[in-house]
Amino acid sequence: MVQSDLKKFFTYSFFLGILILPLVGFATTTFDAPRAFTVWGVFVAILAFGLIIKVIRHSGGYKNLSDSLAPIHKQIKDKLTAVPAKYYILALLAFAVIYPMATNRYLVDVGITCLIYIVLGLGLNIVVGLAGLLDLGYIAFYAVGAYSYSLLNLNFGIPFWFCIPIGIAFGCIAGCIIGYPTLKMRGDYLAIVTMGFGEIIRLMLNNWDKLTAGPNGLYGMAKPALVYPSITDGGLTWVTFHLKSLEALYFLALAIAVLTVVGVRRLDRSRIGRAWVAIREDEVAAELSGVPTMWLKLLAYALGASFASVVGGFFAAKLSYTNPNFFIFMESCIVLCIVVLGGVGSTPGVIVAAVILSAVPEIFRELQNYRMLAFGAAMAAMMVLRPEGLIPATRRKRELHAAEQHQHEES
Amino acid sequence: MKKLGIFVLCIAVIACFSGMATAKTLKIGTMSPLTGPYAQDGTYILQGVKTAVKVFEASGGLPGFDKIEILPEDSACDGGKATMAANKLINSNVSAIIGCYCSSATLPSSIPVNEAGIVMLTPASTNEKITERGFKNFFRLPPRDDVQGWSAVKFMENALKAKTVALIDDRQTYTVGLVDNIKKFAKETGQLEFVAHEHITPGDKDFTAILTSLKRLNPDIIYMAIYQPEGSLMSRQVKQLEITATLVTEDACFQPKFIEVGGEATEGIYLTFAAPVADNPVRSSFVKSYSKDWSVGENEIGSFSFFAYDATMIVLNGIKNGGVKNLAETIRSTKSLGATGEIEFNEKGDRALAHAVWIVKDGAFVPYYNPVTDKMY
Amino acid sequence: MDTTSFLIQQLINAIFLGSIFSLIALGYTMVYGIIQLINFAHGEMFTAGSFAGLIVLMGLQKVGFVDSHFILSMVLVFGLGMAYVAVLGVSIEQVAYKPLRNASRLAAILSALGMSIFLSNGMMLSQGVSDRGFPPVFGWDGFRIMDAKISYGQVFIIILAFALMYSLWIFVTSTKLGKAMRATAQNKPMARMLGINVDKTIRVTFMIGPGLGAAAGIMVGLYYGSVRFDMGFIYMIKAFAAAILGGIGSIPGAMLGGMIIGFVEVAWSAFLPSEWKDVTTFVVMILVLYLKPSGLLGQSATEDKV
Repeated sequence: MVQSDLKKFFTYSFFLGILILPLVGFATTTFDAPRAFTVWGVFVAILAFGLIIKVIRHSGGYKNLSDSLAPIHKQIKDKLTAVPAKYYILALLAFAVIYPMATNRYLVDVGITCLIYIVLGLGLNIVVGLAGLLDLGYIAFYAVGAYSYSLLNLNFGIPFWFCIPIGIAFGCIAGCIIGYPTLKMRGDYLAIVTMGFGEIIRLMLNNWDKLTAGPNGLYGMAKPALVYPSITDGGLTWVTFHLKSLEALYFLALAIAVLTVVGVRRLDRSRIGRAWVAIREDEVAAELSGVPTMWLKLLAYALGASFASVVGGFFAAKLSYTNPNFFIFMESCIVLCIVVLGGVGSTPGVIVAAVILSAVPEIFRELQNYRMLAFGAAMAAMMVLRPEGLIPATRRKRELHAAEQHQHEES
Repeated sequence: MKKLGIFVLCIAVIACFSGMATAKTLKIGTMSPLTGPYAQDGTYILQGVKTAVKVFEASGGLPGFDKIEILPEDSACDGGKATMAANKLINSNVSAIIGCYCSSATLPSSIPVNEAGIVMLTPASTNEKITERGFKNFFRLPPRDDVQGWSAVKFMENALKAKTVALIDDRQTYTVGLVDNIKKFAKETGQLEFVAHEHITPGDKDFTAILTSLKRLNPDIIYMAIYQPEGSLMSRQVKQLEITATLVTEDACFQPKFIEVGGEATEGIYLTFAAPVADNPVRSSFVKSYSKDWSVGENEIGSFSFFAYDATMIVLNGIKNGGVKNLAETIRSTKSLGATGEIEFNEKGDRALAHAVWIVKDGAFVPYYNPVTDKMY
Repeated sequence: MDTTSFLIQQLINAIFLGSIFSLIALGYTMVYGIIQLINFAHGEMFTAGSFAGLIVLMGLQKVGFVDSHFILSMVLVFGLGMAYVAVLGVSIEQVAYKPLRNASRLAAILSALGMSIFLSNGMMLSQGVSDRGFPPVFGWDGFRIMDAKISYGQVFIIILAFALMYSLWIFVTSTKLGKAMRATAQNKPMARMLGINVDKTIRVTFMIGPGLGAAAGIMVGLYYGSVRFDMGFIYMIKAFAAAILGGIGSIPGAMLGGMIIGFVEVAWSAFLPSEWKDVTTFVVMILVLYLKPSGLLGQSATEDKV
């Protein structure tokens, strides 16, 4: 048992070693010895650490330790679950409200990015997590939102608040256009077609010079404004207050995010949400039980798209600038990562993952080139070690474990 | 109430610490693409800034400051990332920002910088819209795209005596702006006829289909408004397909990599780039210290390193002469000599810098034609 | 240049481009056929192959071997480059995909995506951010058909690409291992029951697929003359479309799909506004999938679920 385990461990490390070979420092004509030494040193150290843990586990030390910790663990867990969920939510909200006052400009900016990703993650979660449709072109709807606000505001001077419903409508339409041809397709084909659509929309924005100014991008959009009455001696006048400061924009983003969380939660627990899950689990069975699968799939696309569209409009307003290059394929991937890392179908998971994915690269900004490397490695490692995500949706977790058990029995 | 007290205390402590930390250090931020396809030029910019600071400190440093610190940020040629980087720099109380490289990153990221009243100098972005927005704290070192477009048109009309031109661009902010300018200036005399306007995708390697079509049209000139990676490859394919048209391109290709990758295929290609600068003491001392700092040959210095060096020197000298508060006014009112020649800014923050046409000769860039005087070098 | 030679020249361009896409698409389709996974890291295999080939080539050129033994040095460049990437491919499979064989499809795709980001950034760190030039080993000479010109380099690469595809076809249809591969692709439990070592078969697939990708990478480097850490992405998307178009999982489908994408791209750039070229690729792909969801030569869609 121990031997086969060790063998497995060494095979795995051997292949991992090959994998990091490109890092070792073979430049085109030279060999960078110090770097090779460092990389391999770190690698061997990690391996040794892993090996020690393995050995401890096998010698029973780990078991004893975990046994002795188990009661404490349970106690903490009980204590934590004793507090109703709503207090956590309140605490989180309070933190979110205090956050911009307690931190600086840069962190507020990072906070806004976090909130944008939360909304995007939750929107995609409807499509991927609830309805089970793999979408690799989700960022296209974000682009639709950003461009519809920019164009409406620049050409017709329509203010932000009126652009939101129009943006939602455009998003829904785009969602249906993309959703309709893909209804017949399943699984990976769907992924490819959505990816194709995502790229088509980006290329259209880039090429359609007359409408979108092409790669120059659009700039000069007005920031969202609050209009309130003011009573002065001349009578009642309307005062326009543009939300120019980052803090004000942060609160707007927070409001959008909170509304999204509430909306998605309610959708999740509604008849529609249950119907989506039914489609995800077994489309044929759902159809036979009287679920209108066609309409519900389209609805999933449309709703997912409308969330992205709203936040896209916000993004364009925040930067006062938009450019087709913001909406590349990689962005879709990042949003998908948020959904999967957080746990497919799980709202708290998506929030946590969005915070991690948008904050961590910023924290490691100093490391510049290494951060994306670590990001990729972490993503793969996460999938290998914990495929159900950080905070798995309870329903989903049960399924995965059932599948594992099934596999176990089979072998 | 108690919580609020703690909160206020925290802020006070943080404020104290940050106040203490900045007391004797001058911070300069840089924004340039350090990752992604344009990371090479971004690195040139950062290296230029670093050399400038080193040279400045060696010559006595800033009175009132112990240390000059460079805060390098990655703008990745992406407006969103650049804006975030800008906010981070503003937040770290930088006195000035050197950046960005891509016009599409400079356009949005200069907005918060301007609002914060921080001086920003771009060593690379040439899109003319950038300085048309009336920002009081923004300066640009390289010549604008409309100058470049005008020079290219003048060269093609007068020196090459061309009639037909085929345009190729890669549909990015910079290249599209440049091509628009070329079309605009060509209209004035009407001598040039644009027989084709093709587009490529950045990252593509195969342009044979487009080039074959152009070969059939047989234009006098193929104007490539593309960046270096594609530019090198396209010149190779032009030679491969035995196309006889003259190749003219722009300053994004003006770097050693263009010749290194393109090899002999780049021989005889014309490029528009800032006019050659008579060798002045600033320039030669920069070339010496840069090649020593980064162990590169004196001819292998990236073109944007020169602008980045000058930008940094302007900032440091400006602070030395007029303090951090009046930096923008000091820069605007001072005339100085830099590695890229006489530096003087107009109301918009642009320099009256002329372009020249260069040619690749024996694997090096050589000045060829002066569009202002209409004479060969 | 008259119309006939123009058409011939474009035909050559299309065949050349198509054969590169076909080679890359083969890697996708084989991996997908056997473990139903979109191998996002395949584009990086292509780039890694190109770098490996460049390193071997530079080494050989330093000692003057290329000039004295041209054919042998090409064999070395392709052989070593492909071998290295084959090992890399197996390593990825073992490290990132094998532990996920029973997990959900999404997890595997994300793991592949993570690997892709990891590898491309790893290459950026070790090989630098800017593009590296290949020495022009083929020279500029060639022969002509009327006014159309084919360089010797193009001839060499097209012949090599077709030879590789042909040998793959022979391997899959007539060797024992190839048959085992097809059996595994069709029905894994059944193949296992019949005594086929499924794990080994998957490993072999992960050697051949990336190996072909690496060959394509070296060809691109040799012919176009440069390689950069992120060049895999654009080829990945196109080859991906090609694999889908031909029917993912089908080996002749991938070859056909690659050729079609090559022809569509060249034809579009030649006759129609070139900025819409990439849009066309995707539109063609979506149309084919809409009208015939299993691709041109694919088997009818199997029951798959995310």
